Amino acid sequence: MECFTSEYHKFIPCNLSQPVTESRVSHYSVRSCWIKLHANMDSVLYHSDVEPEWLDDVQKNGELFYLELSEGEEEAVLAQVTASQSAATNHVRFSEKEAEIITDEGRRRTNSSAKSEPKLKKLAKILGRKRQPSQRRGAGGKGSSPAAQQPPSILKNQTGQRACLMVQQSYQKDVCVYLNPKRLANVCLPPQEKGGLLEALLGVVHRGGDERGCVGERLVIHGLVPHSPASKCAQILIGDVLVAVDDVDVTSENIERVLSCIPGPTQVRLTLETASADVGTMDLAMPRPRPSPAVSQLVRLLWGEDTVELQMSVAHIPHIVMYLSLKLDSESPQEEEILYQYPLSEAATQLKSVRGIFLTLCDMLECVTGGQIVSSSLLLQKQLVHVGYWKEGSNLLVIGLPADRVPLLHLQTITEGVVHTLKVMYGSLDSSFCEVEHASRLDHFFCLFFQRFMQLSCLSDGSGPSPQDISRTLFLEGLPAVRWLTLPPDIKAGDLFKGYLIANHLPKQDLRDVCLYCQHYCLLSLPTEQRVGQLVVWREVFPQRCATPHPGYHEPHGRFFLLIVGLRHFMQCVLLEAGGCASPAIGSPGPDCIYVDQVKATLLQLESLDSAIEDRLSAPPMPSLSCADWFLPSGGRDRPEGIGSSPLLNRLTAAIKPPSPGAIGRSLFGEMGPGSGSAGLKGRKPSPQRSLSDSGSEGRGDLGGAFTPGLSPHTTPDATRRMPPVGSRRDSLGSGGSDGSGSSGGLFKVHVVLLQPNPFYLGSLKKSLSEREVEEMQNTLKLTAGAENTLFHYVMMESVQGIFIAPTHREISQLSGSIHPQLIRNFHHCCLSIRHAFQQSLSSRASRGLGPVREHGVLFQCKPENWTDHKKPAPTMTYWVIGRMLLEPVPQEFYVCFHDSVAEVPVEMAFRLSFGLAM
Amino acid sequence: MLPSETVQLLCLTASSGVPLFSRGSCKQLPFSVIGSLNGVHMFGAGQGALLSSCETERDSRVAWRVFQDSLMLIAVSGTAGASSELHLRRLLENAWNCMVLVLGQDELANVRNVERLKRELRSCYRLIDRLLERGGKDQGFMGDLTHCADCLLPSQPGILQETLDSFTRAADSEFGCLLVRGRLALATDKWWRLAPQEVVLLSALVNSLSGTTSCDYPVFLPQGSPTVAHRLLCFQLLPGVVACVLCGPSPSLQRAESELVGRFWSPVVEALRVCLEQAERSTLPPSVRLRWDVEALLIINRESRRAVAVCPHARGHTPSEVPPLSSPAHRWELLRAFYTFAVTRYFTSEEPVALPTSPPSATAERLHEEFSLGFTHLPVQCYLVTDDCKCYGLQTPQHQLFLLTDLSVPTFALRTVATHTLNAISTPTGF
Repeated sequence: MECFTSEYHKFIPCNLSQPVTESRVSHYSVRSCWIKLHANMDSVLYHSDVEPEWLDDVQKNGELFYLELSEGEEEAVLAQVTASQSAATNHVRFSEKEAEIITDEGRRRTNSSAKSEPKLKKLAKILGRKRQPSQRRGAGGKGSSPAAQQPPSILKNQTGQRACLMVQQSYQKDVCVYLNPKRLANVCLPPQEKGGLLEALLGVVHRGGDERGCVGERLVIHGLVPHSPASKCAQILIGDVLVAVDDVDVTSENIERVLSCIPGPTQVRLTLETASADVGTMDLAMPRPRPSPAVSQLVRLLWGEDTVELQMSVAHIPHIVMYLSLKLDSESPQEEEILYQYPLSEAATQLKSVRGIFLTLCDMLECVTGGQIVSSSLLLQKQLVHVGYWKEGSNLLVIGLPADRVPLLHLQTITEGVVHTLKVMYGSLDSSFCEVEHASRLDHFFCLFFQRFMQLSCLSDGSGPSPQDISRTLFLEGLPAVRWLTLPPDIKAGDLFKGYLIANHLPKQDLRDVCLYCQHYCLLSLPTEQRVGQLVVWREVFPQRCATPHPGYHEPHGRFFLLIVGLRHFMQCVLLEAGGCASPAIGSPGPDCIYVDQVKATLLQLESLDSAIEDRLSAPPMPSLSCADWFLPSGGRDRPEGIGSSPLLNRLTAAIKPPSPGAIGRSLFGEMGPGSGSAGLKGRKPSPQRSLSDSGSEGRGDLGGAFTPGLSPHTTPDATRRMPPVGSRRDSLGSGGSDGSGSSGGLFKVHVVLLQPNPFYLGSLKKSLSEREVEEMQNTLKLTAGAENTLFHYVMMESVQGIFIAPTHREISQLSGSIHPQLIRNFHHCCLSIRHAFQQSLSSRASRGLGPVREHGVLFQCKPENWTDHKKPAPTMTYWVIGRMLLEPVPQEFYVCFHDSVAEVPVEMAFRLSFGLAM
Repeated sequence: MLPSETVQLLCLTASSGVPLFSRGSCKQLPFSVIGSLNGVHMFGAGQGALLSSCETERDSRVAWRVFQDSLMLIAVSGTAGASSELHLRRLLENAWNCMVLVLGQDELANVRNVERLKRELRSCYRLIDRLLERGGKDQGFMGDLTHCADCLLPSQPGILQETLDSFTRAADSEFGCLLVRGRLALATDKWWRLAPQEVVLLSALVNSLSGTTSCDYPVFLPQGSPTVAHRLLCFQLLPGVVACVLCGPSPSLQRAESELVGRFWSPVVEALRVCLEQAERSTLPPSVRLRWDVEALLIINRESRRAVAVCPHARGHTPSEVPPLSSPAHRWELLRAFYTFAVTRYFTSEEPVALPTSPPSATAERLHEEFSLGFTHLPVQCYLVTDDCKCYGLQTPQHQLFLLTDLSVPTFALRTVATHTLNAISTPTGF
């Protein structure tokens, strides 16, 4: 760790935009921003003295995208992949004399483009060379069992017996495991007789031939090493025979060589012969870990694997991106006007065939109406498709997306986002689309792009309120800003943390550029669901700030390089400038180890802040939030007594009712988790240091499980605890954070104190617990007026710094409930509309019509689902979603969602919130 | 280039692309443009991609629609126009319905002689032109957009309603209505049961015939009887007051005019006069007092598909210094824009009862995206604060209210103003 510290000190000047003054490195001037990734407390594998793992992956033009998952995670990922793949059916194709099993896996591999798995190709090539001698020797070797001569594919051997084909197929199974030889880098390899790589890497114990050194022996699995890839995938059984690795036949003789050819972390397909005939049923019966293919798919996508499979899954949804030339030349051969196209699915082909429409409309509308076409809608196979246009010079970018995924209101934002990102990455649209060597990378880019909209259920982060919450993605990613995590003032550092921006030295435009890049490569959502072992991205970028000329000031011409280093929880984005004040870059330089190491060192330094940031994330929401479900008695469920239908009535009945041990309370707390009810709901630990005066009321709360007074479930345990003096009042989660205030008793007094102008001042996290509680009691803040907290959700965007703040994922997930996730989804969908209204009024387009919109609100009404009581009308809950745009003092947009009971002045709320943004 | 704020409506035969007519206040588009607009759609349809609309960065739009596989209607709006996608969509639908109303569906669905059809279509021009000028900007007709009949709430409807009912019965019909200053003041129950678009179009037709004392006009009902014509008899009772009856072969115009009109309507001439005077001032009865800061409002009864639009002019005294919105025309325009905004995003504009529609309109349902379907909860109210005015929209199971107020009303009070206004109108009039 000492060396990191020293490097860290050296690195500090880089952050302050000064050129590095080390002689051995090429000189860059550096700007950076930090992102905090996920939190986990694994030990870091950091080999500062070893050649970096990513060095092999640097491409010819210097670009690098290296992603390595952390230990434990990758096996889990691959196990899921395996599970999903083994469930896939094998296809049997009959050729003239041979039956051949084409597994999905195999077909995918053959279909996938050349770039997708170069490593495996290489491996197969190497293995292929070795295959012949091994077989020969196996045949001639003495003492080899007859089974060893059996070719791995028993099917090919017994093509004559078609009748038993299917039965025999079930004897053989393919298992995919994830192997990472790099992990063995600093472990000295065990000698062959002790199991060698087979045991160390794969985790399969094979005790062959009792030291007689049999060559070519069948690899019967005698045991599995605990926690090894083989045992984790749970499909390799003792007694199975390993016959092939990635279609290369293996025996005890060549297995070590085969395994040693695996160059880096990769997925390997093992073919096993198993004793049990019914693999299928066994698979089904096996308790699989809850499959979340999302996780694996995103990572696989980033690795550039399996794009074909993902494409197939969305092939039926019409979507396309095309780059067309408007210079129509009737003599030119067919399809020459298509400069780039993705994907090649059937629906896309249909869209491609009508490209004449897009070209004609673009051309004609400019003549007829004098404006560029931005969008059109057409009906394709009974599906409405919106097409977005972007004209660049004499070329036209066309993006088609299905209407049920992307509302027309938002299409333009998406188109602009794509164009902006491409310009950042390649300088201009022409250079990105017209250069042949970019084609495969663009394929990958647009594959990711479409996956983000088509298969959100797969790619969305697990912590999101709803898997299909497309509006959330659309809205939040459409904002020209990065998510900002507000931190207590004593933490003066920053990164992007778990998708939250922590600190930033980048100018706003650069931040936007970097953020768009990260968004498109899902780097912001990746760490929220996966632990990143190591991430190194290096590429030349073309910041758009330099593209727009400023009068009177000329940016020095330089080349810019983006370096993103992710290590576990943190990610740092560094923008390096060559030329200008630093020495010019020649050719296409790759990432320099020194820079990467420096960034890593910084990130490791930041690990010390991790706990503080974690504290912030797990702290009660600031400003405090309410859960929608608390305002609504749940329908039928948990309501055996059928307490009145309106919240008000509920409150009354609850207040009148004598405290009785009720089943309701128990079931509620049972849901919320063990321990004291209040702590479970709020995700806060009950304080062990409560004052004695507190214990009177506190005791009831702690006993909550058994002796909670019979309240309807919408009341929080806080309210429960305070019920004797105040009755059952609903309280918010956040102001519930001041649960120490139970001791002060006077609830109203507390709320008066709570109305401070700074909702983000967290007090000091370093103070002792009891002190902190007092502090929190005074500092917890409500954004809404009135006695009760009615705030459900908020998003605030500040466009000068290019950041936005919103409740953290964890804050949202704390507010569990059935209605609340719906409400959040609704909120984001509504925000799309509100923001569109703002955007329209900002642009000059809306000279007529409604004029510039300053504030826009929508009142929603919701009823509990599955309302079973037919005698009474279902209770309703109404809430506002309001957006407010402020141009003074700084341009801000503020979106808020709160309960209808209190009339709010959104401007006031916006200011209350923005004053808290102490940057 | 198309001048700004204009709309062009083009009609062509769907199969051959022969232009039938082109309407609009500006110069006709060059033939090549018409040809390519049609060609683009035809090409797409051939490839299985049905083009429905497109939009440019300066808010001009094009909308296509083919009706009955025989006629293609294209609407093109110029830049900076307040014409929304909803407006163009409605325009195409209304234009088709106009043509059906006048010529009947058979004539349009099976085009045998293009030249003859061209000539016959001229009889629709007056009605279509009326639609294109958005139902008369200054008078606040919004039926073309809302598909709800523009109504007038007379203060003493009782006696006039009785008269109308017996007059209609005497004319061997069940369909009768009374139009005052172009708005429906009264109608028989059966009239209200016509499809809302038909009611709107019949009112527009009668208004376009204004100036004649009486007329006998054959009409096809686009939804009710698109192939069998009925007779629409109109009688001008007073200047600006027209009684209409939709009837079969009898009675003849002469008999109805000479015998029935005098017999039934002359006793209530005074009541008609009162009604007309009231219509000069407002579409609401004088008993309904609106707040002074209400600039314009539109209230829709969702069940009967009736709408009342009010634009109170000449306020007595304005206690605030906030200048009132300039002209009624501007206010109407804002109200239309707000209606479009609220209906396309949050509220439903479709009729609660599914109408017996022909297959083409079933596909039309999918030709545009319903943004409101994306909501998990029901939007019930919405408001907008702009630099010029404040708007409030409110939807209850029975009513929709769209309110335009000036900037002096505090935003938090808008809701109270709106609910109060809704009650003030709906309670005394039973609207």
